[in-house]
Amino acid sequence: MASAEQRAAGGASATGPAAAATASGAGPGAGPGAGPLLQVEGLTVHFPIRQGIIIERRIGDVRAVDGISFSLARGETLGLVGESGCGKSTTGRAIVRLYEPTAGRVLFDGVDITTLDATGLRRMRRRMQMIFQDPYASLNPRMTAGGIIAEPLEIHRVGTPGERRERVRELLATVGLSPDYASRYPHEFSGGQRQRIGVARALALEPDLVVADEPISALDVSIQAQIINLLERLQGRLGLTYLFIAHDLSVVRHISDRIAVMYLGRIVELASSRDLNRTPLHPYSVALLSAVPIPDPAVEARRRRIILKGDVPSPAAPPPGCRFHTRCWLRERLGNPVECETIDPEFRSLATDHQVACHFAEKVDGSAEQLQAAGRGTGGGAPVVSGGSAAAAGGSAAAAGGAPPGARAVPPPGASRPGE
Amino acid sequence: MALLSVEDLVVRFRTHEGTIHAVNGVSFELEEGERLGLVGESGCGKSVTNLAIIRLLPKPAGRIEGGRVRFDGQDLMALDEADIRDLRGREIAMIFQDPMTSLNPVLTIEEQMVETIQAHRKVGRDEARARAIELLETVGIAQAAERLRNFPHQFSGGMRQRVMIAMALALHPKLLIADEPTTALDVTIQAQVLELLRELTESSGTALILITHDLGVVAGMTQRINVMYAGYVVEMAPTGELFAHPSHPYTVGLLHSVPRVDEREGEELIPIEGRPPDMRQLPAGCAFAPRCAWRLERCWVENPPLRPLVEGTPIVTTGPQASHLIACHNPPTPDEAASGRPTRPGFSPAPAPPGLIDELSPRSNGVPGGLADLVEAIEAIEGPLSAFPSAAGLPLPPAEEGPDGER
Repeated sequence: MASAEQRAAGGASATGPAAAATASGAGPGAGPGAGPLLQVEGLTVHFPIRQGIIIERRIGDVRAVDGISFSLARGETLGLVGESGCGKSTTGRAIVRLYEPTAGRVLFDGVDITTLDATGLRRMRRRMQMIFQDPYASLNPRMTAGGIIAEPLEIHRVGTPGERRERVRELLATVGLSPDYASRYPHEFSGGQRQRIGVARALALEPDLVVADEPISALDVSIQAQIINLLERLQGRLGLTYLFIAHDLSVVRHISDRIAVMYLGRIVELASSRDLNRTPLHPYSVALLSAVPIPDPAVEARRRRIILKGDVPSPAAPPPGCRFHTRCWLRERLGNPVECETIDPEFRSLATDHQVACHFAEKVDGSAEQLQAAGRGTGGGAPVVSGGSAAAAGGSAAAAGGAPPGARAVPPPGASRPGE
Repeated sequence: MALLSVEDLVVRFRTHEGTIHAVNGVSFELEEGERLGLVGESGCGKSVTNLAIIRLLPKPAGRIEGGRVRFDGQDLMALDEADIRDLRGREIAMIFQDPMTSLNPVLTIEEQMVETIQAHRKVGRDEARARAIELLETVGIAQAAERLRNFPHQFSGGMRQRVMIAMALALHPKLLIADEPTTALDVTIQAQVLELLRELTESSGTALILITHDLGVVAGMTQRINVMYAGYVVEMAPTGELFAHPSHPYTVGLLHSVPRVDEREGEELIPIEGRPPDMRQLPAGCAFAPRCAWRLERCWVENPPLRPLVEGTPIVTTGPQASHLIACHNPPTPDEAASGRPTRPGFSPAPAPPGLIDELSPRSNGVPGGLADLVEAIEAIEGPLSAFPSAAGLPLPPAEEGPDGER
């Protein structure tokens, strides 16, 4: 883990010397400049399970990521959300090739990075950087903040030492830290400040794509908003493209333009942030949405959670058919149709830019569960009156509970989809 | 007479780096069957308060240096070690964040549950085992009889937490203290565990103290809430009232710094600037003053006491009619609480008095002014920095023609 993080930290420090040695001419760095910045096609990452000490046998695979596809436009934020073990972090790491994909293609600006040699990869990595979850583990405790931020510059031989020092000061200021902090060590900083250093390091090479893997989960509540706002501000200023990986749907929803929901190595639903939250179409997305606690007792009192039974199955032996069928509330309602257990549902488009992998997604649309989870429903007679009390706690409860029964198809004012 | 009454509790940790002022005069009460939330960030003293109540502070560093704790008519501070041990588990049960560290990894679930039951009740092994099976079934573990023979590592995180709940409720305690019981769990599993906790405490009439940093969790689970900051309770109110009229700047700040899954499009997050104070040297005045957007000059020097929001009303400590108390010299108005910022014309937070170096701001190297001041201004105002600094700085060669490799 730490080694992977440090590799990314240095842009490509592990492959660095090797890359310099292989004076290969392959340098397809210049992309077309149009089209999506990142296109992932059938990405698969399997980790072998081995047994035996002297004679190692491969007895199976952990199918961490099992054939996922999505694309990411320039300047866009795609949120990758799911529970532990769903493969979201593995996806992020495979995209910058910290893990070798088992199959599939990752086109970055038109270039398939899964086939690049060390030199080409190293050059490409400069344009894609990572921010890691744990600001305590991802910074080298023996290096100063300045050294940490300058490391990518040194590895890619950018500027003279003096210029690098100046650049470090600028970067520190950019992320809201005093430039005088360059000479301090990680232990002298708080968690939030360390994460700012991690952000500064990721920005040092002016990347196009930033893969942020749970960047705020390890931080205190009052600090999280500082980092979210910083990331949003930097995106506006620098035109960054984010792949934002997190387990917390409310955070992902806040920062993302589009959201991909992952379950057991697959993307089960991909939609705009608004659509996913107002009309989730996969039973798992609905359950996930309904399970997020909302800091408002008036809303909480009228919400019905969908309590999923049991635990996520092991990715070493995913269930046949639809991977979610063992815990699916909809399947039970429909009288356990056989295709859920036998046929792997195709990832299909149900509406404009709204894809879902469920045989019965049409049945989800308009169901009481969907309306409840999206905060618009009647909950089978439960009171929907938006309490006056709710308004004071931020005013957002109005959007959650104000819709009258049967008004589910009516988008809120100003919520009309572009292109409709 | 309340089930639990904590009066002016003071806890200190003496360490090599100095004395940590973990809890600085906390008072609250809890009735039978009541569910109280303790909310705050790491280091605010919420866990230490409860460890002190059940006398499990790490020794010898942690010491209760003042205050009284009465539980069910007994003075917990005066009990001897054997009596308090008997009380823990039987009368007051606990659940901690990480169930793996609370379960013994080399004993089966059966051994641990039977041992717990037999330690407090004079029952035979078979009877204890039957009770264990019944408890596992109550918390929704299928094939309980077989699962009893499993070791903790054979259970998932959610199931381990269910086992902990089963063990905690095994002896029908009067009070259950749950310290971040779902923080280590996934959100769908969190929903399962919270549902279970609510059902079981409601049906058995067990009082609950739920410690968490997550305002969403307490919103749906508790009847009253104490918000803690830097070892003080800064706001105390029934749950509905707290969310309807958040009145301490810290509570208001917390509510505005977490995105809500049901928020409107483009809802802005308003972070609380700075970071929590060093608990070894708390500010002389209000501990929150250095981060507070509403601070007055007196906030820097005078620590506000906890008093009723509506001055002059009698203080009710428990129940749905409990008073709304805050510790603040300059509480936000309801409009300001809704917008998350001071909106009164001409108001700006009082600067630190001369001679007081603001340890918490980015200027904490103690040299005010210059570039560091600018940085803070950027942080505060959002975006006066119109371009990325490097536009004026050193030019980066475009990535397509990297300087390496070809050299």
